[in-house]
Amino acid sequence: MPDLVWEVFRQEAEGDPLVHGGSVRAPDEELAMHYAREFYGRRQESIRLWVVPREAIVELDDPDLLQPPFDRSFKRPSGYLIKHKLEAARQRAGAPAIVAGSAIPEPEDVG
Amino acid sequence: MTTYDDATRAAVAELLLTLADDEFILGFWDSEWTGIAPMLEEDVATSSIAQDEIGHAKAWYEMLAALTGDNPDRIAFGRPPEDYRHAALMNHPRTDWAFTVARRFLYETADSVRLEALSRSSDPEIGGLAVKMRREETYHLLHWSAWVRRLAEGGAGTHERLRAALERLWPEAESIFAPLDGEAVLVEKGILPESLSLLRDRWVERARAELEPLGLPTTTTPGPGSAGRLERTDDFRWLWGEFTMVTRSEAGATW
Amino acid sequence: MIQTAQAEAFYAHVSTGGKVEADDWMPDDYRAAVLKFVEMHANSELMGVLPERDWILRAPTLRRKLALTSKIQDEVGHAQLLYRVAEDLGKPREQMLQDLLAGKTKFHNVFHYPTRSWGDVGIIAWLVDAAAIVSQQALRDSSYAPYARTMKKICWEESVHIMHGRDVVLTLMTGTESQRAMVQEALDRWWGPLMQMHGPPTDPAKDKDLIWQIKSKGNEQLRQEFLGIYVPRIWELGLTVPDPALAHDDATGRWQYTEPDWDELRSVVTGHGPMSQERLAFRRLHREQTQWVRDAVLGVAA
Repeated sequence: MPDLVWEVFRQEAEGDPLVHGGSVRAPDEELAMHYAREFYGRRQESIRLWVVPREAIVELDDPDLLQPPFDRSFKRPSGYLIKHKLEAARQRAGAPAIVAGSAIPEPEDVG
Repeated sequence: MTTYDDATRAAVAELLLTLADDEFILGFWDSEWTGIAPMLEEDVATSSIAQDEIGHAKAWYEMLAALTGDNPDRIAFGRPPEDYRHAALMNHPRTDWAFTVARRFLYETADSVRLEALSRSSDPEIGGLAVKMRREETYHLLHWSAWVRRLAEGGAGTHERLRAALERLWPEAESIFAPLDGEAVLVEKGILPESLSLLRDRWVERARAELEPLGLPTTTTPGPGSAGRLERTDDFRWLWGEFTMVTRSEAGATW
Repeated sequence: MIQTAQAEAFYAHVSTGGKVEADDWMPDDYRAAVLKFVEMHANSELMGVLPERDWILRAPTLRRKLALTSKIQDEVGHAQLLYRVAEDLGKPREQMLQDLLAGKTKFHNVFHYPTRSWGDVGIIAWLVDAAAIVSQQALRDSSYAPYARTMKKICWEESVHIMHGRDVVLTLMTGTESQRAMVQEALDRWWGPLMQMHGPPTDPAKDKDLIWQIKSKGNEQLRQEFLGIYVPRIWELGLTVPDPALAHDDATGRWQYTEPDWDELRSVVTGHGPMSQERLAFRRLHREQTQWVRDAVLGVAA
């Protein structure tokens, strides 16, 4: 049995995403699990671990695919700036001006 | 702790001492693998398991200290070699990896039978602590069974090393179930729900069931004599010298 | 430095805060520099186990035994983490271990010295680990990202060790007179190696590790940081530092001290320290004794 590399992902608290912690070397899945527990869980710092053989991981880091050059701001909330248009529409309709802390809810800034 | 009459208290104290000393001495020997185990990852695992044993020993010593009005560190570090009550299995150093795996397998399977019974103890404190320990021991059993399998299936030479170590250690593992002074009282009151002799038979069955399919036959031995917890070796005396060195350098000091 | 356009772009990237991952293209000299740095660090963690290991058996209370075993276990764990980083740069773990044991690669000076008492255990866990943490914190921002991430994990784990070390020292300092004397005696022996630990000051214009941001602070800066935090904490316990020239110059904000013995440092890290050969021999012996296990279980000639 060759000495393989296993990547370990850990979850810190319920509901959290699993985050990459590091890697261990082990001849098989059983010892890989024990060693993952040792390196990423012996201090009770994780509630769940995923142990994956390194070869099973497929990596994508091509900037042409992940960071292509054309504008894609229409895909994100920060691509929509409505503040001034909203103000203009309200004025036209005779609505009271928006004051900080007023009862009228502000559009959420989720950008 | 439940209030006991003198005879019962003495019997409980003896039981707790054997439990604590087994974990303490084994934890000591195996902590010696720290830094020099066969693989880096395994080094960390073995060290964790050794630390668990010291932690369990600490818990039993604390319970004993509460029972007898003593101090846990004094009990652990303050006795002459003859007054330790660990099983003969624990008289040897870590020796080599096959020896360690064999000893660990024999001990973990025996301890698991013992703790299972104690988790049903009529003494709620003992029962509660045994339940907690069993949860940690799950990992120990998994880990050492994994190694027994790996060595058994690792080729002829490796298999033979393990087989020889098991054969040598089996009679001494029996000493884990050596009869205790006052055992009758403990069993009668349900503090120890089953006799050590019965527990020993259950252990033999379980260990055999795991070893035989791997081609590791176990020899029949007559069972443990009462001296099983009273023998001391030079190796143990050396260890005692090491672990009491600092405390003996200045009596009464705090460390 | 290599002169291609790709290499020039790479050097500009790393020296201005850019990060590099294991699979990224990198010029050979950068790869070699990171590997050398990380390999020495890994070697040091592994050899660092040995000075303290003797005291695992001798720890005088249940709690100290647990804490010390756990601390040393962490050092082994750190060796694993660092060898993994180095391996992913292209050098197999077995090769690194062989080179270490053959004396071809180095490990930090402090691990070439003997431990003589329980006082040493406290001083090492407190001050040697503190000096190491000062270096390690500065590495959390390394241009080589896998190393930076590992350093974050290591720093988090090391913080416990310093607490343990300081606790041991404080217990001794509030104990008996001979316990206090034990600590002072240990400090007297360890001060020299501690002052040498961060290395002699280097010229920032020529220090590749600094230029390429493999490390972000120079040796002298690290030493000053260490002195600034820890000398007051040493003095407040009534301990003396065996350097009559040690003083803080309020005008310059720098600590003055007797120049460390750089010859000693050079001699020690090339294997001539008091315990260098004995410890390497110890490791070699145990590696040989467990070779059969690796052969059986890993199935590769290691």
